[in-house]
Amino acid sequence: MSPLADGLILLVGGVATGLFGSLLGLGGGVLIVPLLTLGLGFPLLTAVGISLICVIVTSGAAAGVYLERRVANLRLGMTLELFTASGALVGGLIAFAIPERVLEGAFTALLVYTALTMLRRPTGPAAGDAPSEAAPDVPSTFTSRLSGPDYRVHRLGVGIVGAVGAGIASALLGIGGGLVKVPVMHVIMGVPLRVATATSNLMIGITASASAIVYLLRGGIQAFVAAPTAIGVFIGASIGSRIASRIDLRVLRGLFVAILLYTAWQMLQRAIA
Amino acid sequence: MIGRPVTAGEDPAATALEPAIARLLTVGTYLAIALLTVGVVLLLASGASPRSADGGLDVGRIPADIAALRPAGFIWLGLLVVIATPSARVATALLGYVRRGERDMAIVGTLILVVIATSVTLARIVEG
Repeated sequence: MSPLADGLILLVGGVATGLFGSLLGLGGGVLIVPLLTLGLGFPLLTAVGISLICVIVTSGAAAGVYLERRVANLRLGMTLELFTASGALVGGLIAFAIPERVLEGAFTALLVYTALTMLRRPTGPAAGDAPSEAAPDVPSTFTSRLSGPDYRVHRLGVGIVGAVGAGIASALLGIGGGLVKVPVMHVIMGVPLRVATATSNLMIGITASASAIVYLLRGGIQAFVAAPTAIGVFIGASIGSRIASRIDLRVLRGLFVAILLYTAWQMLQRAIA
Repeated sequence: MIGRPVTAGEDPAATALEPAIARLLTVGTYLAIALLTVGVVLLLASGASPRSADGGLDVGRIPADIAALRPAGFIWLGLLVVIATPSARVATALLGYVRRGERDMAIVGTLILVVIATSVTLARIVEG
């Protein structure tokens, strides 16, 4: 295959994963890793390193907008990302010691979990977005200072445990970890869904960079492959954020679930081959 | 600040901090994408495949590579900007919290940078 064709395949693949991820509210890692491993034949750890770069790019662009619009909670995000980054550091260090088949098996489980999450996700635009509880006037504590104007943060300890788990998963599987962080913040900590999603996005950058540094310094990031893929993901995510309101997400979600399950089957076969 | 939750929407000082961080993230991301794009165009123009060896990261070589319009210089610098932008965001927030006397958030910001510094150190030790 010609160099130009190689570059275009990576670019177009990146655009597709960025577009899909953006429309469905995912960082894109769950799609980039299968694209690079199953589609283009790269080793899993190479794909994970490249995926980490891509999720930092998409997170940076989106988080800037979320902060500008004051949707993301900076205090809560920074507090939890201290623990996601710690988890990602540990994950990045142990990733190179774990057999690739084990990681492929874990990624298969992640794909199935993502598909099930997509099937169960409410379809209404504001579903689950109601303020959890008005923040009353209470003496200032660290947790209360993490709360927003119309919601109160609860169970910070459980959130911290979830954050560590999300960080480890991010480093091992090359994902942003939103599939863990958003439910933890929304369901357990009482953060409105829109704020939880925006805050999770803000946290992805530092989480992924903690493990991306380990991958980079250990030679786990193939720069010439990462560059066109990251550009493609950035373009795809930018397009997705502009057309999301005009797309029937129910059809897209059904198609996506089918793709995820097919990919999970392929990844499982690769793990046990 | 004592007595009720402090939020970005209520705190006048936060109104300056969050847009500044937002601008930093946006500028960092666009700068990284611009560098990566130049690198990929140069790479493809040279006839090399993205699957070819990238020579590995050598920070000291980046200025010379960029001066000579070699793709590796632009691509590695772009990747470094990608990875450094979130840490720059934390450093900016840390300075903002220090200026406002929010000691607990300043400690959180410092600890995050310690974790990042630890990942650089440990990766070097493991690799070495």
